[in-house]
Amino acid sequence: MTQAFCVTVVLSCGCLAISLQSAMAEPANARVTKQTQDAQPIAPLSQRYAKAETSETPDFQKHVVPLLGRLGCNGRACHGSFQGRGGFQLSLFGYDFQGDHKALLDEAAGRVDTDDIDESLMLAKPLDADIHEGGKRFDKNSWQHNVLRQWIESGAKFDDEVQSLVRLEVTPKEILFLGEEKEVQLKVIAHWDDGTAENVTELCRFSSNDDSIAEIDDVGFIKSGERGDTHVVVYYDSAVEPIPVMRPIGAELQNSTKPNQVIDQLVQAKLDKLGIVPSGQCTDAEFIRRASLDVTGVLPTANQVREFLADNAPDKREQLVEQLLDSPGYAAWWATRFSDWTGNSEEQLNNVLPIRNVASRLWHEWLRKRINENVAYDDIVEGIVTAGTREPGESYTDFCKTMTKACEPGNESLFAEREGLPMFWGRRNFQKPEDRAIGFAYTFLGVRVECAQCHKHPFDQWSKDDFEQFAKLFSSIRMNQKSILNESRKERDKLQAAIVGERTLKGGELRKAIYKAAQEGKTVPFGELTVNTSAGDRARKAAAMAKKKGRKPPKAVIPQGKILGDSVVKLDTDPRGELMEWLRSENNPYFAKAVVNRVWSNYFGIGIVDPTDDMNLANPPSNAPLLDHIATEFVNHDFDLKWLHRKIVNSETYQRSAATNETNVMDRVNFSRHMPRRLPAEVVYDSVVLATGSDEHANKIRGEVDSMAIAEGKPRQRNKQDFALEVFGQSIRESNCDCDRSNSPSLLQSIYLRNDLDMHKRLSDKDGWVTQACEALGVDGPSAKGNPKAKLNLRRAEERRAQFVKRVIKFQKLTDQRQKKSKPQLQKEYKKLVQQMNQNGYLVPSMSKLLARPQSWASLKPKQKTKPATVTMASLVEEAYLRTLSRFPDEEETEISITFIEESESPASGVQSLVWALVNTKEFIITH
Amino acid sequence: MKYHRTCDGMKRRDMLKAGTVGLGSLGLGSLTLGDYMQMSQAGQLSTGRAQRAIFIELPGGPSHMDTFDLKPDSPDKVRGAFNPIATNVPGIQISEHLPKLASCMDKFAILRGVSHTLAAHRLGREYVNSGSKPIPALEYPSYGAVMSKERPGEPDVPTNVAVPRSGHGPGFLGIRYAPLETNSTPKFGSPYSVRGISLAGGIGVEEVKRRQGLLKKLDRRFADLEKNDQLLDGLDQFGEQAYSMITSPRAREAFDISKEPDNFAKQFGKESFGQSCLLALRLVESGVRMVTVQLGGWDTHQDNFTKLKTNNLPKLDAGLSGLLNGLEQRGLLESTAVFVTGEFGRTPKINKRSAEGGRDHYPRCMFMLMAGGAVQGGQVIGESDDTASGPRHEAITPDDVAASFYYNLGIDPTLEYDTNTGRPITLVRDGTVIQQLFS
Repeated sequence: MTQAFCVTVVLSCGCLAISLQSAMAEPANARVTKQTQDAQPIAPLSQRYAKAETSETPDFQKHVVPLLGRLGCNGRACHGSFQGRGGFQLSLFGYDFQGDHKALLDEAAGRVDTDDIDESLMLAKPLDADIHEGGKRFDKNSWQHNVLRQWIESGAKFDDEVQSLVRLEVTPKEILFLGEEKEVQLKVIAHWDDGTAENVTELCRFSSNDDSIAEIDDVGFIKSGERGDTHVVVYYDSAVEPIPVMRPIGAELQNSTKPNQVIDQLVQAKLDKLGIVPSGQCTDAEFIRRASLDVTGVLPTANQVREFLADNAPDKREQLVEQLLDSPGYAAWWATRFSDWTGNSEEQLNNVLPIRNVASRLWHEWLRKRINENVAYDDIVEGIVTAGTREPGESYTDFCKTMTKACEPGNESLFAEREGLPMFWGRRNFQKPEDRAIGFAYTFLGVRVECAQCHKHPFDQWSKDDFEQFAKLFSSIRMNQKSILNESRKERDKLQAAIVGERTLKGGELRKAIYKAAQEGKTVPFGELTVNTSAGDRARKAAAMAKKKGRKPPKAVIPQGKILGDSVVKLDTDPRGELMEWLRSENNPYFAKAVVNRVWSNYFGIGIVDPTDDMNLANPPSNAPLLDHIATEFVNHDFDLKWLHRKIVNSETYQRSAATNETNVMDRVNFSRHMPRRLPAEVVYDSVVLATGSDEHANKIRGEVDSMAIAEGKPRQRNKQDFALEVFGQSIRESNCDCDRSNSPSLLQSIYLRNDLDMHKRLSDKDGWVTQACEALGVDGPSAKGNPKAKLNLRRAEERRAQFVKRVIKFQKLTDQRQKKSKPQLQKEYKKLVQQMNQNGYLVPSMSKLLARPQSWASLKPKQKTKPATVTMASLVEEAYLRTLSRFPDEEETEISITFIEESESPASGVQSLVWALVNTKEFIITH
Repeated sequence: MKYHRTCDGMKRRDMLKAGTVGLGSLGLGSLTLGDYMQMSQAGQLSTGRAQRAIFIELPGGPSHMDTFDLKPDSPDKVRGAFNPIATNVPGIQISEHLPKLASCMDKFAILRGVSHTLAAHRLGREYVNSGSKPIPALEYPSYGAVMSKERPGEPDVPTNVAVPRSGHGPGFLGIRYAPLETNSTPKFGSPYSVRGISLAGGIGVEEVKRRQGLLKKLDRRFADLEKNDQLLDGLDQFGEQAYSMITSPRAREAFDISKEPDNFAKQFGKESFGQSCLLALRLVESGVRMVTVQLGGWDTHQDNFTKLKTNNLPKLDAGLSGLLNGLEQRGLLESTAVFVTGEFGRTPKINKRSAEGGRDHYPRCMFMLMAGGAVQGGQVIGESDDTASGPRHEAITPDDVAASFYYNLGIDPTLEYDTNTGRPITLVRDGTVIQQLFS
């Protein structure tokens, strides 16, 4: 088979054919050119070692270790386990060549015996000649046996130099299956830096990212299954190579119209290949709701919906997007999202500042200000990564003064104006260098490196050494309440002395005293971020001294770390500047992609790489050209976040309908339709408040976004979280995982929305929309019904009426003279009664009328307090729909609603139930 | 197209098909991957003994020497003020301030000389509430969360309830397995209800039914998509379940302890702890799988003896004996696993912080109690040394007790879960089932 073509099409007849018209966006030609210069690959081991008699010496790194991997020896369940197995341990996935070699040659283990080769347990065990828990792994005189035996016979050597694998060439590069149960065999050539190439197919590990679509066995033989697309992954040495596999849904599509935007073109290219017809565009009503909730986290008002629907401007969607990006909700909500990714957690920030329960608020405000001003993403990150505690030229005391002030509620902006966000470095779960390596990679790279903490990353290139070197980068940075620069010590002691006076306080008591002092308005001492550069300082001093004395400067030992997969950084100065330069450099493979992918995921419910914090070689993007394009353009636009949002929200891809067709109904990863997703916790919370609140109340909240959950108005505090937000999965921001936020539904959520007292209160609140609606209808509001206080008043008023009627009758029975005498008293009583009754909202007949016919006042008459109706029931139903579901009701819905209200015990209870039902529809809680 | 892997390169599904890991195609048969096989078998290990569980947490750390592990002959500086009394099981003695428990000693087992090393409240609690030593990277699930996952109950009652709240979360299993927390405790003889489950706000069952009818009519926009969308389907299911729980009298009545006859309720004592135990009994009787009850106030650094004598011990004595007797009277003891523990014991040496002295945190030696299910009551397992300063022989660990608790419930303690970051975690990392409990 020629390898120059990159797409292999497996036709329904089962034979292999070559697609001459490659649809691949990947620059395949470059590789082809390179390949022609490559050496002819040498034949696989199975051919070279088919017979025991061979003079070739197998290579430990290239052959022996991968073979042990293929035989399953270094798996987690066997000798790769951290305890080893049967007294023998190998490195998990075999990347520690030195260690494995040592383990094999350990005399006590008896795995290798060069004197009595066949007694070597390395041969005897897998032949099951010596009892092997793992059973028989190969037959005598099989090529596997021959390879291992030959290696031992030749001295079981490993020359300490690890050889470098230039690339792993897998053919076919992309597989297109045109039917079920079709088959393809992968072929893998390893290219080494000494120019040699070898067929290593039988030494690789293989896996499938979705074996319902493509099943792959351990010799690289792929079988097609269901329709869809996925990747199979090939592992050999340090390489991890994903190979796209597709089984189209329909016939390849040739679209006559090409979308205008590159994003849409790239999405369509993939869909065409898969034969997926995308859904059409969403309606305007769907768009305003979707975009408002996704861009700003704020439910649109009924009027906003009405106006948008009535607007005839052809570019009204673009206009809306601009308005949304300029609204306070955008900055507030995205500061919350960035708070998730940067790990803004009050729990973890406990005692980082001397004042409690404010750190998280300051953090959010710092982000909010920058997002609002559309500061470039790399500049925002720079403020975090290279953060110091003091502003340039600021004295320690001034710093503490400002910070003490900034910690008072309402003064958060004082902190936001400062250059850096040092709290990022002060979190309790971000102190050890290893934790920082994991957390830093999570936040800014969208990469999980934690596997490499203990062993070679199974899905990525990272080795344990890469991890350790990366972690060292963070070892010189210190940030907590106690850390302080030497030069600040005196000023700090002075501030502290002013608080504790003569007392000697320590630990918790000192903290309490400081906390109390801050509440009293005293300036309290804050910790500083310090960087330990003492090794560098010493070296510089020694060099200066040597120069002075005319000697050669002594060789200094400067600790160093290594940027992940990149250059070495010396720790004689603050390493964070170099780290930041690496992050923002054009060649950084992760930095821009990580944020682009996370923002994308916010709009589609799934990342181009998913999970969004797990970019690794074995978890390739569902559409690599798409991610590459947006990330590159994002960098070209100087990391302009609003540009990114605008590009995504204005794309056809984002504006698709949720309605499915036959070809895209099962698609979840190619953005061929809108995928409904549950609104995030904060958005649910606010939406319920806005939908059930009166216009006045809701407008007030919308105006001052600060009190909203999307603006961290209900922040998660230490040991305290709002019940609803907790139930709906607000992020705990603790474990370096985007999964700290949960958008999945639960029973408690349903119970909350249906029957929590919070909900009942909102539906009968005097500031609620139901009350407002009842007023407009000219009927009693919900609070009139079942209100125990009102009932009590009614009972009292009823008693007073009866009493007074009796009193008048008694009065009438008096003689005229006596009547005359007691009339002023009666009139006084009448006056008092009228006052009391009016207060409770009831009318009293005139005195003369009562005297004429006291029994005529047989029942209480309420004062006319409700105004006449100003709206019709239909318009009210319409309003209810607009303010909850952001759309007009259809005729049937209006009729059902009106009938229901009319049949209810009272209009108030009917409207309450209607709002209850609307808030409990799936339509309310999901995007559409 | 779910992408989910474990740290060691295998996907969950692969592991379940243990035979596929290895060399099938080389014609060499399949591997005996002990770990994986065990895990896959775990799914079938449903021949449980106890069907439900009550976990009683005593946060603060109860003194073992003054409760279930007295050392009357030890030196004064450790002995303490309390004397042992005989129980209804010959040879077993417990504190004189636990007379009711002494008279039902045959119904529970005492574990003595349980030992660990975490002397901080939070860490200790995480440990005894999960059976695995806490590690920073992830949180192990509580017993209740595991029960929720492994033994889901019926739709109109919650599976996992905590009274008033749980000392430990569902950890990496996720919030869907979190307990329903009552946030309050019931009072003797008074009606009792819980957030969201009881009808409130002046709404009656009829009104809820009407509303549900309206909701069904209006909630149709996504009808076409429902069968293919897990989210929409899930929302529907939870909605139905919420509705049946709200409207069915079952959950409400299960919570309402005032429905119990006075005579029955009285044996639990009138304190809130005892009434919480009564609630726990009502709940498991109604189909709840796991109830966690808390009795705090054990952190007796000062005035250890007065506090225990006047407050903690009478409450524990009445509540727990009421529970064990009540379960037996209702015929539930054999199917209900009961587990009682604090996060640690307290120092044998009495400190001088107050006139009568107190005891400080002491994880090296503590007690735990087990009852119900297959647990053989009336026995003491393990032993502490002469001054109750440590186990006399081999230590029992919280892991062992947790493993035994799960075993009692028919849940394989070596069951393996994937965390949300794909890391494979054994339910109880280091525990061994204490066979003697069940013989």
